[in-house]
Amino acid sequence: MGTQSLLWNSVKKFLTCGLIGLTISDRYASIVPVRGASMSPTFNPRARNFTDDYVLVEKFCLKKYEFSHGDVVVFCSPSNHKEKHIKRIIALPGDWIGTTHNSHDDVLKVPKGHCWVEGDNSASSIDSRSFGPIPLGLVKGRVTHVVWPPRRIGLVERVFPQERVSSLK
Amino acid sequence: MLPTLNLTGDLVLAEHVSHRIGKVGAGDVVLVRSPVDPRRILTKRVVGMEGDTVSFYVDPMYSQTTVVPKGHVWIQGDNTYASSDSRHFGPVPYGLIQGKVFFRVWPPDGFGTLEQ
Repeated sequence: MGTQSLLWNSVKKFLTCGLIGLTISDRYASIVPVRGASMSPTFNPRARNFTDDYVLVEKFCLKKYEFSHGDVVVFCSPSNHKEKHIKRIIALPGDWIGTTHNSHDDVLKVPKGHCWVEGDNSASSIDSRSFGPIPLGLVKGRVTHVVWPPRRIGLVERVFPQERVSSLK
Repeated sequence: MLPTLNLTGDLVLAEHVSHRIGKVGAGDVVLVRSPVDPRRILTKRVVGMEGDTVSFYVDPMYSQTTVVPKGHVWIQGDNTYASSDSRHFGPVPYGLIQGKVFFRVWPPDGFGTLEQ
Protein backbone atom coordinates (compact mmCIF):
# COMPACT_ATOMS: atom_id res chain seq x y z
CA MET A 1 0.00 0.00 0.00
CA GLY A 2 2.72 2.44 0.99
CA THR A 3 4.71 1.78 -2.18
CA GLN A 4 1.63 2.16 -4.36
CA SER A 5 0.72 5.59 -3.01
CA LEU A 6 4.40 6.59 -3.22
CA LEU A 7 4.42 5.52 -6.86
CA TRP A 8 1.19 7.39 -7.56
CA ASN A 9 2.59 10.52 -5.89
CA SER A 10 5.69 10.30 -8.07
CA VAL A 11 3.59 9.87 -11.19
CA LYS A 12 1.46 12.89 -10.25
CA LYS A 13 4.56 15.02 -9.64
CA PHE A 14 6.09 13.86 -12.90
CA LEU A 15 2.94 14.69 -14.89
CA THR A 16 2.62 18.10 -13.23
CA CYS A 17 6.24 18.97 -13.97
CA GLY A 18 5.77 17.69 -17.51
CA LEU A 19 2.70 19.88 -18.08
CA ILE A 20 4.37 22.96 -16.61
CA GLY A 21 7.49 22.31 -18.67
CA LEU A 22 5.43 21.86 -21.83
CA THR A 23 3.50 25.09 -21.23
CA ILE A 24 6.66 27.09 -20.59
CA SER A 25 8.40 25.63 -23.61
CA ASP A 26 5.36 26.31 -25.79
CA ARG A 27 4.59 29.87 -24.70
CA TYR A 28 7.68 31.47 -23.21
CA ALA A 29 11.05 29.91 -23.98
CA SER A 30 12.69 26.59 -24.76
CA ILE A 31 16.15 25.16 -25.34
CA VAL A 32 16.79 23.44 -28.66
CA PRO A 33 19.84 21.80 -30.27
CA VAL A 34 21.25 23.28 -33.47
CA ARG A 35 21.91 20.67 -36.14
CA GLY A 36 24.12 21.18 -39.14
CA ALA A 37 26.63 23.84 -40.04
CA SER A 38 24.42 26.28 -41.96
CA MET A 39 24.80 28.88 -39.19
CA SER A 40 28.55 28.40 -38.77
CA PRO A 41 30.45 30.10 -37.09
CA THR A 42 27.61 31.53 -34.99
CA PHE A 43 26.45 27.99 -34.08
CA ASN A 44 28.37 24.70 -34.47
CA PRO A 45 31.53 26.48 -35.60
CA ARG A 46 33.46 23.33 -36.44
CA ALA A 47 31.87 20.26 -38.00
CA ARG A 48 34.16 17.97 -36.03
CA ASN A 49 32.69 19.08 -32.68
CA PHE A 50 31.30 16.16 -30.75
CA THR A 51 28.20 17.93 -29.50
CA ASP A 52 25.74 20.29 -31.12
CA ASP A 53 25.26 23.78 -29.74
CA TYR A 54 22.15 24.29 -27.61
CA VAL A 55 20.38 27.63 -27.82
CA LEU A 56 17.65 29.46 -25.92
CA VAL A 57 14.58 30.25 -28.04
CA GLU A 58 12.14 32.88 -26.76
CA LYS A 59 8.50 32.94 -27.82
CA PHE A 60 7.53 36.41 -26.57
CA CYS A 61 8.23 37.80 -30.03
CA LEU A 62 5.18 35.88 -31.31
CA LYS A 63 2.77 38.28 -29.60
CA LYS A 64 3.43 41.10 -32.04
CA TYR A 65 5.56 39.43 -34.74
CA GLU A 66 7.94 42.38 -34.67
CA PHE A 67 11.41 41.36 -35.74
CA SER A 68 14.61 43.26 -36.48
CA HIS A 69 17.24 42.83 -39.16
CA GLY A 70 19.77 40.26 -37.98
CA ASP A 71 17.44 38.34 -35.63
CA VAL A 72 18.12 34.60 -35.61
CA VAL A 73 14.79 32.76 -35.70
CA VAL A 74 13.36 29.24 -35.64
CA PHE A 75 10.75 28.61 -38.35
CA CYS A 76 8.80 25.75 -39.94
CA SER A 77 10.11 24.79 -43.34
CA PRO A 78 7.77 25.98 -46.12
CA SER A 79 8.18 22.66 -47.92
CA ASN A 80 7.75 20.39 -44.91
CA HIS A 81 5.87 21.70 -41.88
CA LYS A 82 7.36 19.01 -39.63
CA GLU A 83 10.93 20.33 -40.09
CA LYS A 84 12.19 23.34 -38.18
CA HIS A 85 15.09 25.45 -39.35
CA ILE A 86 17.24 28.10 -37.67
CA LYS A 87 18.36 31.00 -39.85
CA ARG A 88 18.94 34.73 -39.65
CA ILE A 89 16.41 37.34 -40.83
CA ILE A 90 18.21 39.46 -43.41
CA ALA A 91 15.28 41.47 -44.79
CA LEU A 92 11.84 42.46 -43.48
CA PRO A 93 8.56 43.21 -45.33
CA GLY A 94 9.00 46.02 -47.85
CA ASP A 95 12.79 45.75 -48.03
CA TRP A 96 14.70 45.30 -51.26
CA ILE A 97 17.23 42.43 -51.06
CA GLY A 98 20.06 41.80 -53.50
CA THR A 99 20.35 38.17 -54.60
CA THR A 100 22.10 36.22 -57.33
CA HIS A 101 19.89 34.05 -59.50
CA ASN A 102 21.50 31.81 -62.13
CA SER A 103 24.57 34.06 -61.96
CA HIS A 104 22.41 37.15 -62.69
CA ASP A 105 22.34 39.79 -59.98
CA ASP A 106 18.77 40.48 -59.02
CA VAL A 107 16.91 42.72 -56.60
CA LEU A 108 13.74 41.38 -54.93
CA LYS A 109 11.13 43.19 -52.88
CA VAL A 110 10.14 41.24 -49.77
CA PRO A 111 6.30 41.00 -49.83
CA LYS A 112 4.08 42.22 -46.99
CA GLY A 113 4.01 39.77 -44.08
CA HIS A 114 7.12 37.89 -45.28
CA CYS A 115 10.84 37.92 -44.46
CA TRP A 116 14.07 36.84 -46.12
CA VAL A 117 16.17 34.36 -44.13
CA GLU A 118 19.72 33.21 -44.75
CA GLY A 119 22.22 31.03 -42.93
CA ASP A 120 25.49 32.62 -41.81
CA ASN A 121 27.40 29.92 -43.70
CA SER A 122 26.32 30.79 -47.25
CA ALA A 123 28.17 27.88 -48.76
CA SER A 124 26.15 25.23 -46.97
CA SER A 125 22.78 26.73 -46.18
CA ILE A 126 19.39 26.05 -47.75
CA ASP A 127 17.47 29.25 -47.17
CA SER A 128 15.50 32.00 -48.88
CA ARG A 129 17.96 31.92 -51.76
CA SER A 130 16.34 28.56 -52.64
CA PHE A 131 12.77 28.75 -51.33
CA GLY A 132 12.18 32.48 -51.47
CA PRO A 133 10.81 34.77 -48.75
CA ILE A 134 8.82 33.01 -46.03
CA PRO A 135 5.63 34.23 -44.30
CA LEU A 136 6.38 35.59 -40.82
CA GLY A 137 3.61 33.30 -39.54
CA LEU A 138 5.99 30.35 -39.95
CA VAL A 139 8.40 31.79 -37.36
CA LYS A 140 8.15 29.88 -34.10
CA GLY A 141 10.65 31.71 -31.91
CA ARG A 142 13.75 33.91 -31.71
CA VAL A 143 17.17 32.66 -30.65
CA THR A 144 18.66 34.91 -27.97
CA HIS A 145 21.51 32.98 -26.32
CA VAL A 146 23.79 30.01 -26.77
CA VAL A 147 23.55 27.94 -23.58
CA TRP A 148 25.79 24.93 -24.40
CA PRO A 149 28.73 24.18 -24.53
CA PRO A 150 29.72 26.25 -21.49
CA ARG A 151 32.66 27.99 -23.15
CA ARG A 152 30.37 29.34 -25.88
CA ILE A 153 27.64 30.65 -23.58
CA GLY A 154 26.68 34.15 -24.66
CA LEU A 155 24.32 36.48 -26.43
CA VAL A 156 23.54 35.93 -30.10
CA GLU A 157 24.47 39.16 -31.86
CA ARG A 158 22.31 40.89 -34.46
CA VAL A 159 24.48 41.23 -37.53
CA PHE A 160 23.51 41.22 -41.17
CA PRO A 161 24.95 42.20 -44.56
CA GLN A 162 23.73 45.79 -44.67
CA GLU A 163 25.14 46.35 -48.12
CA ARG A 164 22.64 43.87 -49.63
CA VAL A 165 19.50 45.21 -47.98
CA SER A 166 17.70 48.47 -48.66
CA SER A 167 14.89 49.53 -46.38
CA LEU A 168 13.69 52.55 -48.31
CA LYS A 169 9.89 52.52 -48.13
CA MET B 1 -17.05 32.51 -45.74
CA LEU B 2 -20.72 33.12 -46.64
CA PRO B 3 -22.98 31.17 -46.86
CA THR B 4 -21.31 28.50 -44.67
CA LEU B 5 -20.61 30.97 -41.86
CA ASN B 6 -22.39 34.23 -41.12
CA LEU B 7 -20.71 37.61 -41.48
CA THR B 8 -20.26 37.94 -37.70
CA GLY B 9 -21.54 36.34 -34.55
CA ASP B 10 -20.99 32.67 -35.34
CA LEU B 11 -19.30 30.64 -32.63
CA VAL B 12 -17.45 27.60 -33.85
CA LEU B 13 -15.35 24.88 -32.28
CA ALA B 14 -11.87 24.46 -33.66
CA GLU B 15 -9.41 21.76 -32.74
CA HIS B 16 -5.65 22.20 -32.85
CA VAL B 17 -4.63 18.58 -33.11
CA SER B 18 -5.46 17.46 -36.67
CA HIS B 19 -3.01 19.70 -38.45
CA ARG B 20 -0.13 18.44 -36.30
CA ILE B 21 -0.84 14.81 -37.23
CA GLY B 22 -1.44 15.60 -40.89
CA LYS B 23 -5.18 14.96 -40.84
CA VAL B 24 -6.16 18.14 -42.69
CA GLY B 25 -7.42 17.55 -46.23
CA ALA B 26 -9.38 19.11 -49.08
CA GLY B 27 -12.83 20.29 -48.02
CA ASP B 28 -11.88 21.13 -44.43
CA VAL B 29 -12.53 24.58 -43.00
CA VAL B 30 -9.32 25.66 -41.29
CA LEU B 31 -7.89 28.50 -39.25
CA VAL B 32 -4.88 29.87 -41.06
CA ARG B 33 -2.41 32.58 -40.07
CA SER B 34 -2.53 35.20 -42.84
CA PRO B 35 0.61 35.23 -45.03
CA VAL B 36 0.05 38.96 -45.44
CA ASP B 37 -0.27 39.83 -41.73
CA PRO B 38 0.98 37.22 -39.22
CA ARG B 39 -1.15 38.74 -36.45
CA ARG B 40 -4.42 37.87 -38.24
CA ILE B 41 -6.03 34.46 -38.36
CA LEU B 42 -8.25 33.69 -41.35
CA THR B 43 -11.02 31.11 -41.66
CA LYS B 44 -10.92 29.49 -45.09
CA ARG B 45 -11.62 26.17 -46.76
CA VAL B 46 -8.83 23.94 -48.06
CA VAL B 47 -9.50 23.44 -51.78
CA GLY B 48 -6.28 21.67 -52.76
CA MET B 49 -3.44 19.85 -51.00
CA GLU B 50 0.15 19.57 -52.21
CA GLY B 51 0.37 18.09 -55.69
CA ASP B 52 -3.24 18.93 -56.57
CA THR B 53 -4.10 20.94 -59.68
CA VAL B 54 -6.26 23.96 -58.90
CA SER B 55 -8.21 26.05 -61.42
CA PHE B 56 -9.50 29.48 -60.56
CA TYR B 57 -10.92 32.50 -62.31
CA VAL B 58 -8.66 35.55 -62.44
CA ASP B 59 -11.45 37.50 -64.13
CA PRO B 60 -14.83 36.25 -65.45
CA MET B 61 -13.38 35.21 -68.80
CA TYR B 62 -9.90 34.01 -67.96
CA SER B 63 -9.17 31.00 -65.78
CA GLN B 64 -5.76 29.91 -64.58
CA THR B 65 -4.50 26.50 -63.48
CA THR B 66 -1.69 25.91 -60.98
CA VAL B 67 -0.20 22.92 -59.21
CA VAL B 68 0.03 23.28 -55.44
CA PRO B 69 3.72 22.99 -54.45
CA LYS B 70 5.05 20.53 -51.86
CA GLY B 71 4.29 21.52 -48.29
CA HIS B 72 1.62 24.04 -49.31
CA VAL B 73 -2.20 24.17 -49.43
CA TRP B 74 -4.63 26.16 -51.55
CA ILE B 75 -7.25 27.92 -49.49
CA GLN B 76 -10.39 29.73 -50.65
CA GLY B 77 -13.24 31.40 -48.89
CA ASP B 78 -16.68 30.00 -49.65
CA ASN B 79 -17.83 33.47 -50.71
CA THR B 80 -16.00 33.52 -54.04
CA TYR B 81 -16.86 37.12 -54.82
CA ALA B 82 -15.69 38.71 -51.58
CA SER B 83 -12.85 36.58 -50.28
CA SER B 84 -9.17 37.39 -50.16
CA ASP B 85 -7.47 34.02 -50.39
CA SER B 86 -5.01 31.88 -52.37
CA ARG B 87 -6.36 33.34 -55.61
CA HIS B 88 -4.70 36.59 -54.49
CA PHE B 89 -1.76 35.59 -52.29
CA GLY B 90 -1.00 32.15 -53.73
CA PRO B 91 -0.71 28.78 -51.99
CA VAL B 92 0.18 28.99 -48.30
CA PRO B 93 2.65 26.75 -46.45
CA TYR B 94 0.99 24.00 -44.43
CA GLY B 95 2.85 25.30 -41.35
CA LEU B 96 0.56 28.35 -41.25
CA ILE B 97 -2.51 26.22 -40.45
CA GLN B 98 -3.45 26.74 -36.80
CA GLY B 99 -6.49 24.47 -36.45
CA LYS B 100 -9.53 22.83 -38.04
CA VAL B 101 -13.10 24.09 -37.59
CA PHE B 102 -15.44 21.17 -37.14
CA PHE B 103 -18.59 22.30 -35.31
CA ARG B 104 -20.80 25.36 -35.02
CA VAL B 105 -22.14 26.18 -31.57
CA TRP B 106 -23.98 29.49 -32.20
CA PRO B 107 -26.48 30.52 -33.61
CA PRO B 108 -28.73 27.67 -32.48
CA ASP B 109 -30.31 27.13 -35.88
CA GLY B 110 -26.85 26.49 -37.27
CA PHE B 111 -25.86 24.08 -34.51
CA GLY B 112 -23.98 21.09 -35.88
CA THR B 113 -21.17 20.16 -38.19
CA LEU B 114 -20.37 22.39 -41.16
CA GLU B 115 -21.20 21.32 -44.72
CA GLN B 116 -18.41 19.90 -46.82
